[in-house]
Amino acid sequence: MLSILVLTSTNVSYFNVDKLPLFIVSLVTIAIVLYTTYHKKSRDKYQMRKIGGLGAIEDAIGRATEMARPVLFTPGWGGDIQRPTTIAALNFLSNIAAKTAQYDCQLIFPTHDPVIMTVAQEVIKESYINAGYPDRYKESDICYVSSTQFGYAAAVDGMVSRIKPASIFLLGTFEAESLILAETGNSIGAIQIAGTDSTIQLSFFIVACDFTLIGEELFAASGYLSGDRSIMASVRAQDILKIIIIVFLLVATILVTYQSFFEADLFGWWKF
Amino acid sequence: MTRKFALMTCFIFGLVMFVQYFSNHPTAKLLNQSILEYWQIIFAFTLIVGIAGFIMNSVRELREGESKIYKLASLGGLILMPLLAMIWGIKADTPFTWIFENVQVPLQATVFSLLAFFVASASFRGFRARSIPAGILLASAIIILISRSSIPGFQFDFLTDFANWLRSNPAMAARRGILIGIGLGSVTTSLRVILGIERTWLGGK
Amino acid sequence: MKNLLPRHYVFLGLFVLTALVMSLNIKLDVEVSENTKRLYGFIDSLPENSYLIVSFDHEASSIPEIKPIATALLKHAFSKGHKLIGLSLFSEGTLIGYRLMSEIGREYDRKYGQDYVYLGFKPQYIAAILSMGESIPKTFPKDYLGNKYSDIPILSGIENYDDVSAVLSIADGSLTTHWIEYAGMRYNIAVVAGVAAAMVTTYDPYLEAGQMHSMIGGLRGAAEYEKMLGYDGGGARAMLAQTTAHLYVILMIIIGNVIYFRNRKKGIS
Repeated sequence: MLSILVLTSTNVSYFNVDKLPLFIVSLVTIAIVLYTTYHKKSRDKYQMRKIGGLGAIEDAIGRATEMARPVLFTPGWGGDIQRPTTIAALNFLSNIAAKTAQYDCQLIFPTHDPVIMTVAQEVIKESYINAGYPDRYKESDICYVSSTQFGYAAAVDGMVSRIKPASIFLLGTFEAESLILAETGNSIGAIQIAGTDSTIQLSFFIVACDFTLIGEELFAASGYLSGDRSIMASVRAQDILKIIIIVFLLVATILVTYQSFFEADLFGWWKF
Repeated sequence: MTRKFALMTCFIFGLVMFVQYFSNHPTAKLLNQSILEYWQIIFAFTLIVGIAGFIMNSVRELREGESKIYKLASLGGLILMPLLAMIWGIKADTPFTWIFENVQVPLQATVFSLLAFFVASASFRGFRARSIPAGILLASAIIILISRSSIPGFQFDFLTDFANWLRSNPAMAARRGILIGIGLGSVTTSLRVILGIERTWLGGK
Repeated sequence: MKNLLPRHYVFLGLFVLTALVMSLNIKLDVEVSENTKRLYGFIDSLPENSYLIVSFDHEASSIPEIKPIATALLKHAFSKGHKLIGLSLFSEGTLIGYRLMSEIGREYDRKYGQDYVYLGFKPQYIAAILSMGESIPKTFPKDYLGNKYSDIPILSGIENYDDVSAVLSIADGSLTTHWIEYAGMRYNIAVVAGVAAAMVTTYDPYLEAGQMHSMIGGLRGAAEYEKMLGYDGGGARAMLAQTTAHLYVILMIIIGNVIYFRNRKKGIS
């Protein structure tokens, strides 16, 4: 604390002017998210299109119940709790857990991260309580297996081969383990629903899984599933920001093209 | 009360980390450094939670007679490796590193190598020219594969150029589109967490 | 044999074929790509005694692919007389990185503590990368061998990224992304990389946007780099196996499609 007080007396400016453009963009982004979330009129009239694959969640859990086999959900090796993708995956987990509680279907959640394990235990427990079946919650089904990538892949693969879940959810940040898990799931005939923000792994999931949520669909779908108007409304902020980016890209493309034709350096302002 | 405290902590630290990013002032740097150090310390403790959970689960499954051999192997490793590390250390040429290099490395490399087999089986099963777009995708995959190979007696300059064009234009455009979407999704999710709108990470709504 | 599925035959074919070609001592010639030339040129053009952070961002599993890449890059950096600061952001990469740096350092008669140093492992990679931007000695108070940061000659005057020319990330996953986003973008340090083949396309957008200077990818990248350095290493030796595996996958795609179209003709879905 003393060192902080001493350092406050130095002459360095508190604000780094070089980061002004980024600061402005950040403030605009925050303002848009706040507006879409808290402006009641804007929030209430927003409707979201149905995302393919969401309807399959109910079918996948129903199938597992009919076959008296468990459902397996794993968030991948690439993410940790501070990663937004993991938060989005936990929204899915909450929804899926509510359904498995209702159908009395076993839900297994292996992970590589002890913090994700602890949070997932809380999420699933809460869902089971809210669904009215706290007695069906089994803490030992939510387990930490290994922090190493292929230790985790081998452990989950082993579980899939031995337990033979009827449905597998691969939602989160995945790396090279994606195809190993998805192909093993495919080999036992499980219904597989995947979604990730790892662009390279999307191609593997598309080949080996039944439904794949591509990139931002994972975030949008998690908002949709939460059923919370505020969360759904913030998805609208994404759309508005996307339109702004598209306009910016178009303007920048026109300017660069103009510049290359006329060799004029009049429009360098956008290159921040 | 606990939930409110967690939400407040999240909001304050989220705000602090956001604000300090735009400053070069030594106070901001010190604050940043201190938070990052605490982050690393906290992480070390979370591992204890994971390992305790792992041991309890393994012991329970052993008692119930489920997957006995696997549980014995993993518990054995869990006890043996720290024991060796405590006695002889973890530097080069110790029993710990011997096991690491001669057991763990080959085992992990084996699991990684499964990827090649799964790529082959997935290509066989899933890569079908069901439609014109699927056919284009398939042709692109073959071009990329050939361009990354070195077949004796064959020069594929035009294929390599075309493969590079595919990577840096259509593939790149699609990936950038997906990445922008992911970036925006990440930004809004992070803001929801900082503002306390998104509370799943606390175990519920 | 009766219980074997088509999948198992595909596996068996790949295993037999690659095992067979790996036993043959045939080296294939490779054409050096622009990316490889760019990375080579970057390391080559740095003035002697330039500082490079070499981060071993990989696990034990990818050694067969990562080792030839790391070896080629380290050989080049050592041969040019650069000062190397090794570290690992994965616990499993720590020992591998140390062994490799020491081995190649010895080959070029480089002295530990004077020409290169190994700082060891730091958990929580994002925090570690950001923290090094503020202070490397605070992030790594001691090196891998337990020497105090202030007692190591090579590190005197090295406070943060401002004192280093570039970060060289040797990765099998997406960790290089964090070097780009947190060290490159925030602290303006050049990021170059040697990555596993599967990750190459992940980094293409960063490369095209200039957020990453250059990279080499996979065994092919290693083979190209080895060619530029004028030696045959693990990359060149593995090219035949890799080419065979690629051709095998193409063959599988073709067979799969022939079966698909034949079945479609017969009305079987």
